[in-house]
Amino acid sequence: MKKIIMSFVLLLAMGGASGLSQAEESVALKSVDISLDRATLQKGLHVFTDVCMGCHSLRYITWKDLMDYPEIGLKREAVDELREDAPLNAPIKTSLSEAEAKENYGIVPPDLSLMARAREGKGAYIYSLLTGFAHDPKGRVEDGNYNIYFPGHRIAMGDPLGWLDHEPEDEQDLKQQARAVASFLTFVSDPHQLERQAIGKWVIIFLIVLTLVLWLLKRAVWSDVEH
Amino acid sequence: MIKKILDSSAAQWLDDRTHAVQYIRFHLIDYPTPKNLNYMYAFGSIALVVLILQVLTGLFLAMDYKAATLPTGNGFSLAFDSVERIMRDVNSGWLIRYMHAVGASAFFFVIYLHMARGLYYGSYKKPREFLWIMGVMILVIMQATVFFGYLLPWGQMSFWGATVITNIFGAIPVIGDWLLQLVRGGFSVGDPTLGRFFALHFLTPLLLVVVVLWHVMALHVVHSNNPTGVETSEKNIIPFHPYYTVKDLFGIGVFLIVYSYFVFFNPTGNGLIIEVNNFNPANPMHTPGDISPVWYLTPWYEILRSVPDKLLGIIGMGFAYVCLFLLPWLDRSPVRSARYRPVYRMMLIVFFAAIATLGYCGHHPVTPELTLVGRIASVVYFAFFFMLPFVHKFEKTKPLPEDL
Repeated sequence: MKKIIMSFVLLLAMGGASGLSQAEESVALKSVDISLDRATLQKGLHVFTDVCMGCHSLRYITWKDLMDYPEIGLKREAVDELREDAPLNAPIKTSLSEAEAKENYGIVPPDLSLMARAREGKGAYIYSLLTGFAHDPKGRVEDGNYNIYFPGHRIAMGDPLGWLDHEPEDEQDLKQQARAVASFLTFVSDPHQLERQAIGKWVIIFLIVLTLVLWLLKRAVWSDVEH
Repeated sequence: MIKKILDSSAAQWLDDRTHAVQYIRFHLIDYPTPKNLNYMYAFGSIALVVLILQVLTGLFLAMDYKAATLPTGNGFSLAFDSVERIMRDVNSGWLIRYMHAVGASAFFFVIYLHMARGLYYGSYKKPREFLWIMGVMILVIMQATVFFGYLLPWGQMSFWGATVITNIFGAIPVIGDWLLQLVRGGFSVGDPTLGRFFALHFLTPLLLVVVVLWHVMALHVVHSNNPTGVETSEKNIIPFHPYYTVKDLFGIGVFLIVYSYFVFFNPTGNGLIIEVNNFNPANPMHTPGDISPVWYLTPWYEILRSVPDKLLGIIGMGFAYVCLFLLPWLDRSPVRSARYRPVYRMMLIVFFAAIATLGYCGHHPVTPELTLVGRIASVVYFAFFFMLPFVHKFEKTKPLPEDL
């Protein structure tokens, strides 16, 4: 039985290696250090409300959630300042209407609540996209709509952070903004993830102890059986 | 303590009226088991635990889920929103939903190992033929159940997976169109489909529970096989409790550690348990480039895809199940366990590898190379069953032990 399992693992590994080489056609994403600490999340939130919210909504996050999720932990005054006249328990919505969006961009910008989970690469995809604006080497796509990491390279969203042709001294700041907003969107895509991992640690520790006890019990019970 | 409870006068009172205590004694305590069952034999009990977890978590999910495709703006729907509400706003909703999603994959993982064990030790042979058949029935019902369940979040993969799979019905001659519309409740997958799939996602687990109980009761008539495959004498038989209750509990503990790792630290299983594209709401106007079912269905999907003709593909896939049902009669060797059957053992390794390869191919977008690999693996899958009736004629089996 052991041999079978081993040869199985080997075969699977071989299959995996041969398959990977041909499936990799998209551009490798930039790596980014996603961190869900309060400072980064609050910075990301502000990038979102200052820039992204011009067109994008967060339908599954309310203004009140910004206070209620301890990971973000905004004060009431700060939320009031951001939400202006929107109700506290209303979702975070852009003021751009669908009709206006269609007129200006040709499409309705997608909701960003789940964007960090809905694309291969997750947070790294968002970071790469925001810092992926470039001049089209073939000169077909207008500046501001050519993105290295977007499938097909033509993107309706026009360079939100002003990455294209940025001054070298701004690079660090832009990267920090992109990283912060990628982190923020990673958080809102699964807002219980830190709580989940914190609980999970104790669940696993408990189960390991329980299983060890069961193992000892099993040994004790089986001690009178010759096998 | 258990003995005390079962011997109590209250238990006696109940037993006089329902035989409840007798059932418990017969199935959970006195059930005679060979003493040499290894840990591969724990997967039956583990599967039972997963089934209970799925029923309970599913019940709580159903309290907050809404089976309606009513648009709620920006491409979202009531069904998709209700799942996100469970994930975000329902107390511990994320835990219940992830337990259920990871549980589906875990169920198949456990059942496939349980079946592999049965194949390896020849547990499908006389007198356990019907036990095996009920097992395959359980597999089929499970696959129907996950198929219905995967539509419910109403994401991109839910919608397009259901579209592709229901299309299979459309290829059946004469009644195909009628059947397709009956299954979908319309010309395309839509609100009526979601409604009936939600209802069916309740019905099939009910069937599953019934067949599983039947499976366990039948096992306790023919009794467990063992790794040697030979009949055991009385002196090598031990009662189920406490020996296997405690051994299985240990196995369940190990399983729960792995399960909890996924639930708490990797609930989407890097796209294997919940596909990345299913976090996008269903969009009938936009076909994803790569539609594939979840990993536990891909081997059968790949057999379907390997045949160039759609109808023949369906027949091929159906035949793959028929082979599984017929297995007890295809294999004519008097020796059960692969331990003593060198040729069968080799065949089985190749067969397992073929299923893994089929699963791998079915999970990835079609390329000419993968199609070829998938076809070879499909041939190997069927070759296993075609060879079985003849193997015993030339196979030199190793000497069997007299007893365990």
